[in-house]
Amino acid sequence: MEECRHEDLIDDYLFNRLNHEKKQEFEEHLFNCPHCFEQVQQKTELISVIKDHADSIFKDMRITEKTKNPVQQKIIGFLSPKPLISAAVTAALVLIVVFGILPHKANKTQEFILNNDTVRGSSITLISKAVPSEFRWEAIGKDVEYKVSVYNDELIWEKSTTKNSISLPDEIKSRMTPGKSYFWQVKAFSPQGRLITESSKVQFTWQKKDHP
Amino acid sequence: MKKTENSYDLKKITSKYRPIVTYKVKKSIGSHTPEWEDIVNEIMLNTIEKVKSGEFKGQSSIGTFIYTITRRRIIDHIRRKKKKIKKHIPESDPFPDPYVQIENKERAEMLAKKLEELKPKYKKVLYLYYYKGLARKEVAQKLGISPRRVSERVHYAQKLLRKIINK
Repeated sequence: MEECRHEDLIDDYLFNRLNHEKKQEFEEHLFNCPHCFEQVQQKTELISVIKDHADSIFKDMRITEKTKNPVQQKIIGFLSPKPLISAAVTAALVLIVVFGILPHKANKTQEFILNNDTVRGSSITLISKAVPSEFRWEAIGKDVEYKVSVYNDELIWEKSTTKNSISLPDEIKSRMTPGKSYFWQVKAFSPQGRLITESSKVQFTWQKKDHP
Repeated sequence: MKKTENSYDLKKITSKYRPIVTYKVKKSIGSHTPEWEDIVNEIMLNTIEKVKSGEFKGQSSIGTFIYTITRRRIIDHIRRKKKKIKKHIPESDPFPDPYVQIENKERAEMLAKKLEELKPKYKKVLYLYYYKGLARKEVAQKLGISPRRVSERVHYAQKLLRKIINK
């Protein structure tokens, strides 16, 4: 197999771990290197199969993740009944914004079912709505992984967490332009890696503080 | 690319670059967006026009040239769309794209079967690296093996796929 010095970057590219310049550089390379493009396609297929068949592939494995720290569990326990109700209420508002994206049963969904199918029907409520140094949202249940994305024209940052808040790394902050508008969004994934639900995209303006 | 007036070369360009252009467009605007196909067509047409008219002079590779056209067209699309619906800008899809059915279901089943049969040491790596999406270093740390080993085990899984494809 012919090796290419860009090959190491493929997984970082697929998992959105490259910064803007690196990503662009790598994409340009993909347009010029059929070998790497083939790798990208193969890896994409491999990852899709792994995610789609995770239950059977990993069934005999002990995949017990480290239990969450007690404080966090308490928060989730405390929040879990409430967000479901408020999610139903806010879902109505969200429908107006993201019309057509969420099906109508959104208003009635009381439970998040973590099965293998994508369940779109409720929304995550974003709590810090403007100028956040930290993004926070309402937790929707246990063992949910949240993926937080920040965009301008393109995706500029993405990170997964099992908590219901996250702060921007300094490296990303330094690349954001004060006064410019950005969007953030949270998506929730089941332990099987399936999209459960997503929040609406909320606009925010970046303001630089000298002493955070 | 010298005098590329003849249709053969243009056809070759189209067939060679269409897949990567399609890939990039879908990744950027989401394959659930019905416009993706039109955009790909436009990009390919645009490329051919530019090659025909001599606007492409071979300053860069043809791949880079097409990449630039593709990127511009995508940015353009996103801007236009943003004007229409301010709150809901297009974005890259969750990865892997849930809207794309794997073309070959049979192949997917076969691969899943092979992966199921793997030894636990391989599965652990696949689980952390591809399923959880951890970085190579993190996986290495968690499992107490070298990053190089992680790559080897990941490559092994890919090799299984290649075997099935080439059957």
